[in-house]
Amino acid sequence: QWRGGGGLGGTLDSKSSPTCFLLVGVKLGMQSIAIATACTIYHKFFCEINLDAYDPYLVAMSSLYLAGKVEEQHLRTRDIINVSNRYFHPDSEPLELDSHFWALRDSIVQCELLLLRVLRFHVSFQHPHKYLLHYLISLKNWLNRYSWQRTPISVTAWALLRDSYHGGLCLRFRAQHIAVAVLHLALQAYGVEVPAEAEAEKPWWQVFSDDLTKPIIDNIVSDLIQIYTMDTEIP
Amino acid sequence: MDRDLLRQSLNYHGPSLLSLLRSEQQDNPHFRSLLGSAAEPARGPPPQQQLQGRKEKRVDNIEIQKFISKKADLLFALSWKSDAPATSEVNEDNEDGYAIMPPLEQFMEIPSMDRRELFFRDIERGDIVIGRISSIREFGFFMVLICLGSGIIRDISHLEITALCPLRDVPSHSNHGDPLSYYQTGDIIRAGIKDIDRYHEKLAVSLYSSSLPPHLSGIKLGVISSEELPLYYRKSVELNTNSLESYENIMQSSLGFANPGVVEFLLGKLGIDESNPPSLMRGLQSKNFSEDDFASALRKKQSASWALKCVKIGVDYFKVGRHVDAMNEYNKALEIDKQNVEALVARGALYATKGSLNKAIEDFELALENCPTHRNARKYLCQTLVERGGQLEEEEKFLNAESYYKKALALDETFKDAEDALQKLHKYMQKSLELREKQAEKEEKQKTKKIETSAEKLRKLLKEEKRLKKKRRKSTSSSSSVSSADESGSSSSSSSSSGHKRHKKHRRNRSESSRSSKRHSANKASSSQIDQNRKEEFFPVPTNTLASFLNQKQEVEKLLEKQDRLPYQKKQVKEKDRCPASSSSVEIPDDFGGRSEDPRDFYTQASSSKTEKPYKSEKHFSSRRDSSDSFYRNSEDKVKTYGYRRFEKDTEGRKEHYRRWEPGSVRHSTSPASSDYSHRSVEKYKKYTYSGSRDFSRHEQRYQLNKNQGEYQIEDNYEEDIKTEAPEADGLTSKEQSESGVKKNLPQNLLNIFNQIAAFEKEKGNKPKN
Repeated sequence: QWRGGGGLGGTLDSKSSPTCFLLVGVKLGMQSIAIATACTIYHKFFCEINLDAYDPYLVAMSSLYLAGKVEEQHLRTRDIINVSNRYFHPDSEPLELDSHFWALRDSIVQCELLLLRVLRFHVSFQHPHKYLLHYLISLKNWLNRYSWQRTPISVTAWALLRDSYHGGLCLRFRAQHIAVAVLHLALQAYGVEVPAEAEAEKPWWQVFSDDLTKPIIDNIVSDLIQIYTMDTEIP
Repeated sequence: MDRDLLRQSLNYHGPSLLSLLRSEQQDNPHFRSLLGSAAEPARGPPPQQQLQGRKEKRVDNIEIQKFISKKADLLFALSWKSDAPATSEVNEDNEDGYAIMPPLEQFMEIPSMDRRELFFRDIERGDIVIGRISSIREFGFFMVLICLGSGIIRDISHLEITALCPLRDVPSHSNHGDPLSYYQTGDIIRAGIKDIDRYHEKLAVSLYSSSLPPHLSGIKLGVISSEELPLYYRKSVELNTNSLESYENIMQSSLGFANPGVVEFLLGKLGIDESNPPSLMRGLQSKNFSEDDFASALRKKQSASWALKCVKIGVDYFKVGRHVDAMNEYNKALEIDKQNVEALVARGALYATKGSLNKAIEDFELALENCPTHRNARKYLCQTLVERGGQLEEEEKFLNAESYYKKALALDETFKDAEDALQKLHKYMQKSLELREKQAEKEEKQKTKKIETSAEKLRKLLKEEKRLKKKRRKSTSSSSSVSSADESGSSSSSSSSSGHKRHKKHRRNRSESSRSSKRHSANKASSSQIDQNRKEEFFPVPTNTLASFLNQKQEVEKLLEKQDRLPYQKKQVKEKDRCPASSSSVEIPDDFGGRSEDPRDFYTQASSSKTEKPYKSEKHFSSRRDSSDSFYRNSEDKVKTYGYRRFEKDTEGRKEHYRRWEPGSVRHSTSPASSDYSHRSVEKYKKYTYSGSRDFSRHEQRYQLNKNQGEYQIEDNYEEDIKTEAPEADGLTSKEQSESGVKKNLPQNLLNIFNQIAAFEKEKGNKPKN
């Protein structure tokens, strides 16, 4: 399935947690990196542990909380609960700050400790974001500037990379490879060719990562496109 | 839809994408019209031929084409753009922001021919180029380009591209001579591209900054040192010497790559908006997000409702008289939601109830600021302003009072009370002005001499006071002095004097002097002569406003409390400015002397009727000050030595008439405890006043006074008389009790007190005759 991580556990319904990650993350004002970390924590956790054992939504909220700490973009549990609650119950009023609320908050904190133990405190990850941005700069300088200006390659690549966290791509591929694949797909989408590629000794994607091969790119692109098939299920 | 982009993509992917797009996007009206027009040339032979050559390359990407066709409405939307500035940027010579890499083509090992071709395709006028002077001629100099200073980053050092800098584009550095003499072959020159002949691959450069776009005009053109070369070039040279180095290695070893802010930096550079992140997921289109769903909005909403809850609890506390709890709740509410209008109004109301009118006004005003239509806030603010105006009127700050009334009227033109008060004030000001003039004349004749002496004394005493203050700073004596008890004002030190007997006289004098000096410092128009006549002058002050009732209430209260309050003097002084109503402000003792004659008498007679004479002999001032003197003496009970001496006198003097009076008091007294005191002289004194206060309570019951306050009065008098150090808590609670009880019973309360006083006085007056 799209979830990756070796196919542990069943599929999630349309309101799957990773989707809620990105949505909730955006509404919390989180940066892409922090959301990416949260998603990675989540996916990694459910690689280790069967999906049925824990409430994925609680794990998702705790992942967000933990990611906020890891990426130094501290989030308040109250905000996480508020936004999540709003996501699951649209148009409902914010929760009252009663014992139920505090219990929920406590369980997030408890779950955070669980996550840390399950992940053996390895919660700092190499994300493709940094690589992608450097690749984009390099490419921008090689491309004609008007062609670059006209074509939203960077926005598309960034969007693709963010969306890739709906699945477990981040666990199965190297950050550099994901970055290149995302860039490749963005270039393809607009039919942009890297100038003098045919004459080059080394293809541009090989420059960015020596151990990258064309099949790997195709695999990642294929997985990435697969992620978007669940898009139609989201209302 | 961005037609150009779509055409570009269609050109690349061929007709298979077109058919996919047609089927996927047929519901999209934009695409239907677009694809219709795009379909025509696509069917025609020319594009087909173009595409055929590429076809075998695109066999595997049918998946990608499907993806493109599905997301075409997003991918080719006009809004799907980066907002990167279109202006060319300077190539940095440091890498604080991100890892600056050698040009991509260097890694890709693209042949020089293609590089040269692409360079002349991509170079633009206004770009900065850097090169070495290769030869100098009379018409200018030639330079071989080594790198680019802005716009694009290319590896051109081996392309042997020459550019001409004509003589007219070389600025002269001196008034005479050849400008070219300044330059030498081999100099590194930074210049702006002035003209490009792409076909003949010729470049003309200029050393005038007018050749650069406006945002780069600050860059210095001409000779530069090798340190000023852009970093990318230096890295590129490094890479040339060690061509085995990989892109990844160079990037990861670069300082900029480790910059924690690298992502934000590059996002800005590339024009990607993180606060409005792009996504190709339909469920994640940020334009569909409701503002209400964001964390800050939700938090705000939640906080507001939480704060409101606290306000409700607070109001409930308030209703049952638990004012401290109520205040805590209000403050909590305001901590949760700083701008909560309800909490502000409620707290303001509580402040007003407690007499902190200025604080109340602050809260109401803030509430109105946040919610200008809040009816209660407006109403309360008007009332409080008028109340405060009334207070100020009593404090003689007529102009301030007037401004408060006017403010209230500005808020609510129909507010009758404010209008009435304002009119009354105006009338009164006129009257008092006349009165003052007359009085001043009279007084001047009579008192000239006295004032002079007192003025002299005043100076002396001020000196003395300074000296004492210094002393006092050293000694941390906690016993309180009379002057501070009564006035707790600015010039009379709030710290207490020691209880030494020899200071007694000075102290009293000091309090006199500080009283008048304070008045001066308070910027009053009135002179000291007028002050002395204030008794007469202020008696007829209209006291029908609620504020004046409040004020009077507090005066009486103050009398009752003043012993308890001693430890709080400092606090009160601090509070004075903000809430003069609740603290003993400068004017109050005078007002007291003037308006509430009865309480004065009560004190004089109740606590020191007999001892008045011996003290009078000590006094240097006229008996006009009787009221305040006795006031002081009364409070001075705390000063042990002094109080004890006086106490002995008191008891001596009172023994006889106490005995005479005793049967009556016993009859009045409902407390059997009073008989316990009847034998020892010390206790007799106690009981004397004690039964007197019992008397009060009888009156109180008659007038159905608030019970709390009655008890408090008894308690207070009792404590005062038996000369115990009043515990702090007592003072607080009693104050609160009395205040809490006051709100509704206020006029009645006052009436009671005056009645009691009057009754007591009558009894007292009768006593000696008996």
